[in-house]
Amino acid sequence: MTKKADQTASFMVRFNQMIFEENGESKVQWRGKVSHVQGGEDKSFSDFKEAVVFIQEKLAELTIEATKDHTPDEQDGILKKSFALWKSVAKEGPKVFMETLKDPRKQVANLQDQISHFGDELSEKVQIDQWRNASKSDFNEMKESIGDLVSQMKKLNAKVDSLSTPVKKPRTTSAKKPTATAKTVAKKAATKATSTTKKK
Amino acid sequence: MAKPSDRLETLKQFQENAPIKIQTLGQFNLWRKGEKIDSKSWGRDKTVQLFQYLISNRQRHALHREKIMDQLWEDGDDRDFKVALHGVNKVLEPERPSRTEPEYVIRQGISYQLDLEKIWIDVDALEKYIIIGNECFGSDQKVAKAAYKSALDLYHGVYLPNRVFEDWSSEEREKTQVLVLGAYITLAEIILSENPMESVRLAQCAIAIDPTWEDAYRLQMKAYIAKGNRPQAIKAYQKCADILDEEYGIDPLPETKKLLQEIESLA
Repeated sequence: MTKKADQTASFMVRFNQMIFEENGESKVQWRGKVSHVQGGEDKSFSDFKEAVVFIQEKLAELTIEATKDHTPDEQDGILKKSFALWKSVAKEGPKVFMETLKDPRKQVANLQDQISHFGDELSEKVQIDQWRNASKSDFNEMKESIGDLVSQMKKLNAKVDSLSTPVKKPRTTSAKKPTATAKTVAKKAATKATSTTKKK
Repeated sequence: MAKPSDRLETLKQFQENAPIKIQTLGQFNLWRKGEKIDSKSWGRDKTVQLFQYLISNRQRHALHREKIMDQLWEDGDDRDFKVALHGVNKVLEPERPSRTEPEYVIRQGISYQLDLEKIWIDVDALEKYIIIGNECFGSDQKVAKAAYKSALDLYHGVYLPNRVFEDWSSEEREKTQVLVLGAYITLAEIILSENPMESVRLAQCAIAIDPTWEDAYRLQMKAYIAKGNRPQAIKAYQKCADILDEEYGIDPLPETKKLLQEIESLA
């Protein structure tokens, strides 16, 4: 049996909030850093979606490692289900943070509900030995998700290409981005994938 | 509650006289009645892990044995726990007669916690010094300065560096790092006019921890200007702009840009 520790990915997310006045208007900017505890890598982000992509990549690595003895079809099915969950997180994540700022107590209760819901969903959906029973609609859904993945990969590739281009982005001195003071909030998200893997 | 200056003094005395002292920042060390304990005295790594886990969770009080084992050794059994706990107690109290209650690891049924009244831990003291500093900031700069300085003197690197890949240690590491960043910046601000170059050094320490900490660059710019070193002040801005561009793809904050304009306008 594979160890639980080998099936666990933990992420530490740090947010720095910058609130400032610009052109007589109050503005806010978030800067963050997400770290993968077990792997030691981290990623800075100013858009939460980048943090979600980073987390998705690490979880996908975990799932791929855990399913390396399965057929490619099986792997696709499991990955697709794993990504379906994280697509919801990517979509809902920023909204949750905004709501948390407005009403922290209510959001804590909501988050607890969602976590138990995701737990149920995972235990229901990711049954490795039941993959053969997938319906046609499941396969269609899978196809769509793979399509999404491909488009995400294209975006990532474009980003990597632009980074390797030796053209320096002109730095503007106009006040496009916010001013301000920083306060820091540290949050922790521990995520468990229902699969087996070996820790690096 | 005692005055902040008295609390500061009490903390310093405890740091001086505590029978058990533990360093977790930068490296892990333990002193028993002033004597540094050799790493071989711990025996198995599980003994060290258990002790470090109790340190990391010292504020959670009465940690249940099952929970500790679940977090530390999934495949461990009761015997592992007993052996590790025995090892911890042996290091802390080698002379303790058998069948007597341990002095430093408090046991309540099957829950355990460290006695923080008797054990001095650097990371715990650091937080307490910073609390005093924050309380006095703006009202008693002398005490605030002494408190921040005492806190930062304890910082020799990340929390338990040999456990950076362990889930259970990451929360404490992050919390400490954010506290230390804040302390470096606040102390650098306090001493800016009286000792600008020390301010530069403190800001540099913050940058070493987090190269995107923009406040630190702004402080360096101000400190260099206070010393009349305009080129270095502009250089500090450039470093800031470069790292923010590289890490986030964004410009410095308007406050930082405004400071640059002021510096550039100086004759």
